[in-house]
Amino acid sequence: MAIADEGQLIRSSRKGDLEAFNTLVQAYQRQVYNLCLRMLDPVAAEDAAQQTFINAYRHLSSFRGGSFRAWLLRIASNICCDELRRHRSRPTASLDAALEAGSPADVPSHLAGPEEEALRRELGWHLQQGLAALPAEQRLVIILRDIHGLSYEELTEALHCSLGTVKSRIARGRARMREYLMARRELLPRQFRLRE
Amino acid sequence: MLEALMQFRHRRFRRDLSAYVDDMLPERARRRLEAHLDSCQTCRQELAELRATIEALGSLPMAEAPRSFTLAAAPAAEVRPRPAARRLEFGLRLATATAAFALALVIIGDFAGLPGGGEEEEEWVRGQLFSAGQETPAAMEAAPVETTTLMERAAVQTPAANETPPALEAAPAETPAAEQTPPAPEAAPVETPEPYGITEMPDISEVPGISDVQREPAVGADVTEEEPPENEALEEPEIEYKADAGAAEAQPAAEEEGNGLSREEVVRWLEIGLGAGVGALVIVWAFARFQRSIGNRP
Repeated sequence: MAIADEGQLIRSSRKGDLEAFNTLVQAYQRQVYNLCLRMLDPVAAEDAAQQTFINAYRHLSSFRGGSFRAWLLRIASNICCDELRRHRSRPTASLDAALEAGSPADVPSHLAGPEEEALRRELGWHLQQGLAALPAEQRLVIILRDIHGLSYEELTEALHCSLGTVKSRIARGRARMREYLMARRELLPRQFRLRE
Repeated sequence: MLEALMQFRHRRFRRDLSAYVDDMLPERARRRLEAHLDSCQTCRQELAELRATIEALGSLPMAEAPRSFTLAAAPAAEVRPRPAARRLEFGLRLATATAAFALALVIIGDFAGLPGGGEEEEEWVRGQLFSAGQETPAAMEAAPVETTTLMERAAVQTPAANETPPALEAAPAETPAAEQTPPAPEAAPVETPEPYGITEMPDISEVPGISDVQREPAVGADVTEEEPPENEALEEPEIEYKADAGAAEAQPAAEEEGNGLSREEVVRWLEIGLGAGVGALVIVWAFARFQRSIGNRP
């Protein structure tokens, strides 16, 4: 998703070139929105994504190089965490809605058969439920690492914590996700039925 | 013992599996884990499940953005952290906290019967005031300031109270006051110790605090167009929380609010907070006093 002349666009944006900034927005809006969607309900996710770009524009001067994507996702993470803190009851219920909004049905599937599609849906639903059961900090790191594919270095920037903390959160989050899925392995695709 | 040690090592290896999958283990740890995996079926199984979990997570689809998030116009007002304003705010908050703490100490001292605020002393003061006779009721009703001076005068005389410890001990029984002050019959008809007790307290010093509280909303209500900044001000604690978390420069959400937060607003919110705190304490105090005075009724 990196843009060829990202550095130049950032420099122009800093000088007030809104068009350059909007090019950056277009490049990253899907990732930002998806992060928000996995953390909040669709309406709040939309607001959070918009707020992320507003804040990013206002504070471009504080961006000191490194991964722009990580920087943006960090802003989005902070906004999502704030929102979760404000409405503690929201995430569990809202993730169902998030699943609906981001369900495989919305995305063209490469898989042909309806059975495979159904399995993917089933798996997606369980994954979303498993994510919803994680503490916010573990959910965030799992989303950023395993869904968005951020490197560990980017994660330390995005979460503003040490490499050790990142590793530890990922390990704990994954372990819980594994346990969650294994407890339902009979409902999942065959790669989860290794023990049988 | 050996079993426990094996379990411990096993747990450590399990914990390393995640970093191993991402190739983030140091060379030595990786070799040790691989050696363990050769001999541990459970860990091999867990590793396979972990890989499957990660693969499944990676297969989750990305939703399309429901709309474009491009900005139609540059967001209003570039925001810079304003250390001066923040320092001022911090100072004011500190002052509020100190004031509240001091007031709490005074009230606690009063409850605990410490010198300067004890019930006995007040009983004594009340006795003195009644024995003073004619001037007191008028002074109480008309001029709180004068009452304060009476109280002060009484406080100066406080050591004299030590001369009559039995009377003080018996004070809760309510009658000794009459014994102590022969002109008690005059005071008895007045005999409204409880209303007296109630009205007496606030007019010593707390009334201004209460009126401050009542004044605050009016001040806020005048400035209707400042409502959005008020909301931002309400979010301030979270801002600080984030700053504490160390997310310094990329806290636009936080700093945005710092932008909308004018000095007046900080002061206003401080006043509201202070007023509300003081008001609550005074209410609690007055209520406790009221209870006490009811308990002292004959």
